[in-house]
Amino acid sequence: MKILNFLKQNKFLSLVLLAYLVSFILQPQFATQAFGNSSYYFIEMIQIMPMIFLLTVVIDVLIPKKVIIKHLGEGSGFKGSILALVLGSISAGPIYAAFPVSKLLLKKGASIGNIVIILSAWAVVKVPMLANEVKFLGAEFMGTRWILTVISIFMMGTIVSTIVKKEDLPSGESSPELVVINQSYCVGCSLCENMGPNLFEMIDGKATVKQQPLVPKQMAAVKNIAKKCPVNAILVPDNASQLPEGVA
Amino acid sequence: MDPLTLSMWGITLVLTGIALVKNKEKTFQSMKKSKGMMSNMLGSIVSIILLIGFVLTLIPPATIEQVLGSSNQVVASIVAAIVGSITLIPAFVAFPLVGSLVDAGASIVPGVAFLTTLTMVGVVTFPLEKQEFGTKFALTRNGISFVFALIIAIGMGVIL
Repeated sequence: MKILNFLKQNKFLSLVLLAYLVSFILQPQFATQAFGNSSYYFIEMIQIMPMIFLLTVVIDVLIPKKVIIKHLGEGSGFKGSILALVLGSISAGPIYAAFPVSKLLLKKGASIGNIVIILSAWAVVKVPMLANEVKFLGAEFMGTRWILTVISIFMMGTIVSTIVKKEDLPSGESSPELVVINQSYCVGCSLCENMGPNLFEMIDGKATVKQQPLVPKQMAAVKNIAKKCPVNAILVPDNASQLPEGVA
Repeated sequence: MDPLTLSMWGITLVLTGIALVKNKEKTFQSMKKSKGMMSNMLGSIVSIILLIGFVLTLIPPATIEQVLGSSNQVVASIVAAIVGSITLIPAFVAFPLVGSLVDAGASIVPGVAFLTTLTMVGVVTFPLEKQEFGTKFALTRNGISFVFALIIAIGMGVIL
């Protein structure tokens, strides 16, 4: 049952695994070769993703929201686009590695146009790739393609940002101001219910929030109570967004 | 690891150290947050990698070479752009492949279309992009990238 649920939640993965299964039954050689071809990318992922993890942490801790809004936000203008281009160009890794970083920057106030520039530059104009291009296709080829690509990337940023607005992006992480109780942490001590009987109640031995969304005054009270929770199971919006899917 | 990745690692580690010294609590809190975000993406990333291997086996470099070298330039360019969109082969394979074709006298337009969509348009990464940024963003970005890849390719053909 657990496996079935997992597959339901990960449709993409299930489809890919199904494709492998079918090809393994019909043509085992094909499946083995396909899996072998994937190995290079697995190694690449293992080399890159831990760094991306740290990088998102570093950006989150060291760069204040204000700075990101000023330099990459809506009003950052041409300078912002250049910065986005440089950021994308000097980073390493495949395009999916750019997703966590871009998402964080977006959350901290970067504009959609600049995110498109970062994503595209991350994918196309990386320094070691350019060197490789010179080696096999010549400097003139590389230079011309680089110039055309950079112009295109800037135009793409502008076009995408006129079509896609911030409201079109999934809000999931930032907007809902809901208090979440991590049911697997909650030990049912009912401390929260005692401290705020109008806010919390115990259902089946686990704490639940009586009514959501909360007004700011209630939120402040909940925050106070959350600090007292012995197992830190009450997640107020600031950290509630950290919850991986399915825990709540 | 290539030098760029290595130096990125170095810089990131130093910055992580600075973050830890500056605000240990916030760093750990941020790590928790990042862990949640990354574990949400991990399933998709593994799927992407398995899918890349699958597509590569389905459309091996030899087939791509055939497409890029075909005599009808317009068809070749569009097909090359499509093939570039659905495959994700490393640069050190793609550049020699296009290089050998150009050396052999083939037009550069399909080659450029292929190289550009290869990196900029991601059909296999689309599900993850959609999950993280929404359908509208993913569709618009990939669609416009595809069009611009063709424009870049034509531009290259005109200039060079």
